[in-house]
Parts: sequence; structure tokens; C-alpha cells
Amino acid sequence: MYQYDVIDQQLVEERVAQFRDQTRRYLNQELSEQEFLPLRLQNGLYVQRYAPMLRIAIPYGMLSSAQLRKLADISCRYDRSYGHFSTRQNLQLNWPKIEDVPDILAELAEVQMHAVQTSGNCIRNTTTDQYAGVISDEIVDPRPYCELIRQWSTFHPEFAFLPRKFKIAVNATESADRAATQVHDIGLHIKKNAAGEIGFKVIVGGGLGRTPMVGVTISEFIPRADLLTYLDAIIRVYNQQGRRDNKYKARIKILVKALGIEEFRNRVEAEWTHLRGKESTVPMSEFDRLASFFSEPAYETLTDQPSSLTSKLTDSAGFARWYERNTFTHKKAGYRIVTLTLKKAGQAPGDATAEQMQKAADLADKFSFGELRVSHEQNLVLADVRQEQLVELWDAAKEAGFATPTLGLLTDMICCPGGDFCALANAKSIPIAAQIQDTFSDLDYLYDLGNIDLNISGCMNACGHHHVGNIGILGVDKKGEEFYQISIGGASGHDASIGKILGPSFAQEEISNVIQKLMNVYVEKRSEEERFIDTYRRVGITPFKEAAYAKAN
Amino acid sequence: MPKLIKNGEIIENTYQWLQDAEQEVSPNSIVAAQKWLSEKDTIGNIAGIWLEAGDGIEFLEDIDVNQFDIIGVHFPAFTDGRGFSYARLLRERLGYKGEIRALGHFIPDQLGYLLRVGFNSFQFSDTVDLEKALLLHKPFSITYQGDVADPRPLFLRR
Repeated sequence: MYQYDVIDQQLVEERVAQFRDQTRRYLNQELSEQEFLPLRLQNGLYVQRYAPMLRIAIPYGMLSSAQLRKLADISCRYDRSYGHFSTRQNLQLNWPKIEDVPDILAELAEVQMHAVQTSGNCIRNTTTDQYAGVISDEIVDPRPYCELIRQWSTFHPEFAFLPRKFKIAVNATESADRAATQVHDIGLHIKKNAAGEIGFKVIVGGGLGRTPMVGVTISEFIPRADLLTYLDAIIRVYNQQGRRDNKYKARIKILVKALGIEEFRNRVEAEWTHLRGKESTVPMSEFDRLASFFSEPAYETLTDQPSSLTSKLTDSAGFARWYERNTFTHKKAGYRIVTLTLKKAGQAPGDATAEQMQKAADLADKFSFGELRVSHEQNLVLADVRQEQLVELWDAAKEAGFATPTLGLLTDMICCPGGDFCALANAKSIPIAAQIQDTFSDLDYLYDLGNIDLNISGCMNACGHHHVGNIGILGVDKKGEEFYQISIGGASGHDASIGKILGPSFAQEEISNVIQKLMNVYVEKRSEEERFIDTYRRVGITPFKEAAYAKAN
Repeated sequence: MPKLIKNGEIIENTYQWLQDAEQEVSPNSIVAAQKWLSEKDTIGNIAGIWLEAGDGIEFLEDIDVNQFDIIGVHFPAFTDGRGFSYARLLRERLGYKGEIRALGHFIPDQLGYLLRVGFNSFQFSDTVDLEKALLLHKPFSITYQGDVADPRPLFLRR
């Protein structure tokens, strides 16, 4: 993975010093609340319902075991011994003290980590596929490109005070989009053109929140050397022309929609003519330099399906289930990608205790070259596990609560922290996740239902990405009472779509019952092997709606 | 007149920022760009113009901007970043060599960014301690991107 050189290191240390001074001046009342706000947000520090929240960047989801141990250690000494992995490859600490944050950042800098631009109206942490570099069908490894974008966006002098937050995600495979790129401000799809040159299909104006939209293609192919000048052009147009009069209409998606993609593209192209070919054009030497950090680990020459694996698959139904659901094909023979799920019943989705973080770091050292990834679905991934070690890993993962064999199923839900933590939330989301996990605990039934994305948000800001869940649950406030609106038909991959609202919202205690009714309709209507989303797309919303609101007879 | 920071020093302000269109124009005046645009044949000798957020810089593209000693950029709120693009475009696209002054609501903690996009003078609100603000002049000794002073990104300088 990427290793800081003296320059990168110096920069994060200078950032810590800067923020230490800003925090000191705030606590001395030399900086007002209003002035400190965007400064602290650009360092990931929120003031939440019960305490501050610190969002730590995990650039494009890569973590070393040493970094994860440091996170565990920080969570013990400065927080309540756990952290929350978010959908955008960040770790959130829910209970730090403001006065401790400079020390936390200084400790993070020791392991090449930071909280730079994890919040605020600036270019956020760039995200990508958690399987980057280890799957067979990717065009190239997207991580060097993500690192290029990370450096370009870090303290960009022109774009630190944009109309609104700005999120970029990168994908490099045709078969899947695990980074939900189409619902980002900019989605980048790495492509190869007919001449074999690498470039990007650029999608702009996707996003969730109050006005959810799937992005539109602004360019089919931008050569990689031109990536940064093209990004500069897009964001310069947005910075000058995006709305600033209404925070709910300030995202780039609103500008793109208002102008139409043709006109928006014309303006970007006009800007780009001044930038293209200039100094920010990326030379091949820089791509080579960045790619050198993501070279393959010392893989052994192995064969697939060693006998220890095949015999266990026959002998143990539990292992076979876990293997089927929680592991994924690796590009190298004899290896497998393993997801450590953070979706154990009784634990908030995406939460990990310090002990679990320590354990995951140990597993990474023992089974995966000391590296992990964080996924958009709020799980951890060991990308390079030898198949002959899978049985041993399974035993260890079970012990640590990482082996819930439900990856991609109804109970592998995405869930924001909701009203238990977040000041913005209208309703709690964690108890809804718990209710669904309790109700749908029968593994055979879950397996029969197959892949279903269920996403829960506690408010319109959509941190739980409810709009793009095959089933989305949104907490709403009705005269001080918490209710939940359900939508169906959302998707976040290459077939991205925004879900449709079923109808009037439901009381908290009704949710799992309603989900059960939706599942009954699906089971009845599906053709063989048809996914929930495909059945929905074929039969439409009506049968689901009728079942959900049918009076008990 | 209150002091300001220019080229890294605290100096006396010799220009007058005319915020009100009715104010009398003198050779020391910084006049609203829109006012200057509509009265440029009759307005007489002025020090320069100032841009309001939302003005953009396109209307200056066919004008010799170096006729102005100063171009001000107004920040209606310090979170309104349009002025960052304006300064950069004045320097890089229009080749403006004179003084670019930040006016209005911006804060000392933004100095690092403002300098990099081409501002070289800063008329802070009266409540700002300029000596303390000067200490925030250069928060980082290195940068990843190119900027107005050096257009080369770090990958051309490593």
C-alpha cells in the first residue's frame, strides 16, 4: 500500500500543528463557534448529539494492521473502545473530547493517517472497490489513481470552500461497481480505449440526500494524463456556478440538472481548454511511481481447492455457508478474498470494538500480508488469504464475531448511526437494524431470499444510502414521533436506480413485519434464480404495495 | 484608515473600498466592477475595481486588466469560495500583475489558501489582530498542487 515519503509525512504533521493551534484558539475564544465550524469539519470533527464525532479517513479503504491497531488503541484511550466504519471508507469515533482531538491526530500521523477533508464543503476522501487489485476482471488497479486524486484534492487551494461537500468514487471493473460511483458527485470508471490506453469514463451529478439522483456521463473517455486538469475544470465550474443560496440545492447534481448535461459539458470543456496540457497533466513517471506502491505481495505458487478446503466444504455445512457467502474469487490460484462481516446480531452494523479491531489486525498479519480493506457495506476485508488457511481463519473469525455468513443478504444491511448518535437524525436506525436481524435470523431462509441490499438512514441526509437499497428504510419525524418510510427498487451498482416510496410510513414495531410481507411477495412472484431487484423491476411496485398495506383479516 | 496586510507586512491602507454606489469616486477608489463597467467612459481616474461574488471574471476577458493598480474580491461570507477561483483566474488566465485584495468576510485561517490562489493583500474586519493573523500566513511548507506562485504540482518537483 501507499507509504508516505518525508513530504507526505511533513504535511500531515503540519496539519496537526495547524489544527492544534486552531483548537487552542477556539477553546480560548479567539475563534468563534462560527469560524471554527468549517475549520474543524475539514478535519473531520463534528459536534454531535451527545459528544463530538471524529471521522478518520481511510483513503480508498486501505489499512495496514499497524494502522488498525493504532485505531483500536486510540478508541480505548480517547473514546469508548469502539469505532464505526462508515459507507465511505472512514472510521468514526463517537465520543472524543474536543481538546483531545489534536493529540489523536498527532497519534494518527505516526501511522500515516489523518482526518483531512473527511467532512466540510470540500473534496472528501476518495473511495473505491474494496476488492481493488485482487480481482481478475479489473481493467487496472484503481488504487494508484485514487492516491493521485487524494494528493491533488488535499488542501487544494481553490476548492476548500465549495458550495457543498464533494465526493469522488472510482471503479475499475465492468462486472460490478462496489463503490456506488453513480451516486457520487463524480464517478470515475477506469477504461481502456481501442488503442489500449487507460482513461476514465466520467459521471457527474449523482448523489443522495433530499434530491437523490443517478449521475450522468459527461465524458466517455478522458485520458489518464488529463484526469487532474479535467477534474479541476469540473470543480471550477461548480465552485463558481453552483448554488449557494440554499444548502439543499447546492450539490453539483442540482447545477447539472438545472443546466442540462449538454450545457454543463460545454462549460466544463470551455474551462478545460485553458487547463488541458498544462502543468497538472500527469506524466507517466508519476503513474509508475504511484503504481509501485501497489505491487503484488509475495504470492506463492498454489493451486485452487486444496484438499483441506474441499474436505471441510463437504464436512461442515457452516463452513460451506461461510465460504459461499463471505469469500470471493481471487485473481491468483490458491487464494481467496475474505470479508470479515461487522453485522453480528446485537452489534450496530459497521461497529467494531477495540478488541475486534485488534483481532482483525492479528488476522491480517497471520492470513493476509498485514493489510485490510474497509468496504462500502461497512465490513472489513482480508484480500489475500491462502485457501489452505481458510478453515483456520474461519475458526478465528467466528471467535471474534466476524463470521456471520450473511454477506450481501438481507441482514448485511448498511445502516447510519441514526438518532442514537447523530444530531441530524429524525429517528433511530440501529434498533431497526436489530429488529430485522432478530426477525430474519434463519440462515436457510436468508439464503433462499438471496442477494438483497437493505439500507437504513435515520434522516433525509441519507448516510445509510436508503435511496439505493433494494429495500430502503428512512426514519422520519411526525410530530415528535419516529416513523419509517420504506422504498423499494433502489440499486447502487452499474444498474444504479433510485428506489420508489411504497406509501405512508410505518411505526417502528411494524418494520420487520412489513419487510416480511415484501419478502412473501417476492418469493411468490419470482422466477427461478431471479434476484429481488429483478422481480421488482419485472412486476412493479403494486403487488408489494398491496401486501404491505393489506389489512389483517 | 485601518491597516491591512500586504505582501506579508502590515501597512497603511491608501485605497478606499467603495461599497456604496453613491459614494464619491477619487483616484484612490476601488469601485464596484459593475459600476465601473457602466460608467467607465466617464468615471475618471480610479485605483481599481472590486468583484462581487457572482460577478465572475468573463466580462474582463477583453479588457486590459493591468490598467488597474488593484482588483478587490469581496467575500460575502468566509465560506463562500467563489473568490478563490476569481483570484486564480485573474492571475493565470487574464495575466493580472497588480494587487489582488481580499475584502469582506474572510478569516485569517484562510490565508494559506488565499495566498496560493493569487491574493496578496488582505483587508480584514476591524476585530482581527493583524499581528496574530500574520502568524497564519503560511500554514504548510509544501503543497501537492501547483498554484499561482508555482504552477508545477509536486510530481514535477519531487
